[in-house]
Amino acid sequence: MKVPAAGPSRTAFVTAADDLADRVLSALRGAENAPFLARHVEQAPDRGAALAAVRLVGADVFVPHLLAGFPLDGQDAAAVTRSLAVFPQEAVIAGAGDAGSAVAWRDWAVAELLTRFDGGRPAVPPGEEPAEDPAATGWRPWCARMAGLSPLAIAGLDGPVHQAARCGALPLSRGAARSMLRRDYLTAVRLIRWLAWLHHDGVPLPLDLEAALDHAVLLGGHGPRTALDIAVAERLLGRPDDAHRRR
Amino acid sequence: MTGCAPVAETARRLCDRALSWLHAHRELDTLPSTSDLGDPDSVYKPLGETTLAASLVVRDGTAGPGRRAAARSLLDFTWAQMRGGDLLYERLLQHTLLTDPAETYAHFVRAGYRHPRLDELLAHQVRLRSVRAVELIPDRKLAVANAHRIIGLDDDADWDALIRATWLGGLPEPWAIDWMTAYQMTHTVFHSTDWGALPYRLPADLTAYLHDWLPVWIDIWREIRQWDLVAELLVVGACLEEPYCDPDDWRALAEIQHEDGFVPRDGDPIDENPVQRFKDHQHTVVVTAVAGTIAAARASAGRS
Repeated sequence: MKVPAAGPSRTAFVTAADDLADRVLSALRGAENAPFLARHVEQAPDRGAALAAVRLVGADVFVPHLLAGFPLDGQDAAAVTRSLAVFPQEAVIAGAGDAGSAVAWRDWAVAELLTRFDGGRPAVPPGEEPAEDPAATGWRPWCARMAGLSPLAIAGLDGPVHQAARCGALPLSRGAARSMLRRDYLTAVRLIRWLAWLHHDGVPLPLDLEAALDHAVLLGGHGPRTALDIAVAERLLGRPDDAHRRR
Repeated sequence: MTGCAPVAETARRLCDRALSWLHAHRELDTLPSTSDLGDPDSVYKPLGETTLAASLVVRDGTAGPGRRAAARSLLDFTWAQMRGGDLLYERLLQHTLLTDPAETYAHFVRAGYRHPRLDELLAHQVRLRSVRAVELIPDRKLAVANAHRIIGLDDDADWDALIRATWLGGLPEPWAIDWMTAYQMTHTVFHSTDWGALPYRLPADLTAYLHDWLPVWIDIWREIRQWDLVAELLVVGACLEEPYCDPDDWRALAEIQHEDGFVPRDGDPIDENPVQRFKDHQHTVVVTAVAGTIAAARASAGRS
């Protein structure tokens, strides 16, 4: 089955992805128990859309496992595996237009975490270059690409994309500032999440990240998937969940 | 993407054309016969801006004979409009606390014009505690300090403190800038560096900050076709100790410049009426000339 780039089923998939992101956030905050993923798919009014949602949320379905010590239940792993079978990479790429290599890297992250929790062998990274030197591609297209790879920005995951990010603190900061000025807070939050990953990794940043995150959250941090990006960024910064709301 | 050399040719062409447009349209910028300027912004300010652009061409000395002649001719014209400096002198006589006579006069002094009675009056004015304490926003204080420096008046300016008091001096969050603040930031750089002549006077941390964020600001204001501000941001890049001149940005400015040198201030429709057209866009043509002459001068200084 294809994940279409537009149209009514795309809208249904995006809504389903929001529902799933909400569920993942609940699990992260301790309001769910295993197997929350399997249960979510099972109880969904449209199971196909729920499985597509697993593909859209990508590696972020493992946020509770990586950040809150949530155990990976066999049924949850099976739900993720099933989403990969129902929506194979080629079909997702066909629906994603020019973001094909981003799909490959997002799938690498899913496979890597799945095998890690399952005790399997590490996933093989996609053959092509992960994210070219931002100086060669230009910081704007590179940031657009990195924003699409934000589910990879999580403590415990590392690879060639992360290595590219380590060399791109300034381009990522520029991208975040540009998105903020354009009031594209969805992209801003995704790039801030990468910057938070860099901060967690010990890379010095040219930006006051906490102020930028608070600003993006207060002015445009809407929607469950953005909330998930924010929750991860706050944990990478060592802040309590929803730190901005407690001030 | 450092240095002005890659944009030198574009910069020269931009400046040549802009100056030629200012020269061709100079008669649209004439002062009324009265010296009491009810609304100084109407014609007095544009005359000062044209003078600035022409004075930098003369100062930087990298222009060919055509551009130099146009600049000289423009300076003679604006100096005549100021009645050989009398207008500035009388304006200061009437309004002791005004700073614009000194600021406008400084552009003429840069190009070698002098008015002895105005010099005498300014030397007195600058000593007044009242004048020094006039409440100006920080980038305007820099404008006055730089004008005094050019005229040769000693006002004990603490440059570092003046620069640190500006928005830029606070090393602000780059994503929290707005259109008006961007203009104030550009003027902090213009006056601190005396339009690219003293780039080292901008502290190194502020220069590094601008290298980090100018690409973002140029990008967002290019996207919404705020050409006047984009041109000012290109001037900022050209004024830095290690200039920031991205050829793609300079190409974009060159592409919107008309054959006769006209540069629209933004993406809005252009008024056909020549007087309104001049009023709306003269500033952008001036900034384009300034950007071009500074970048060309920095490129040629980099070669020597």
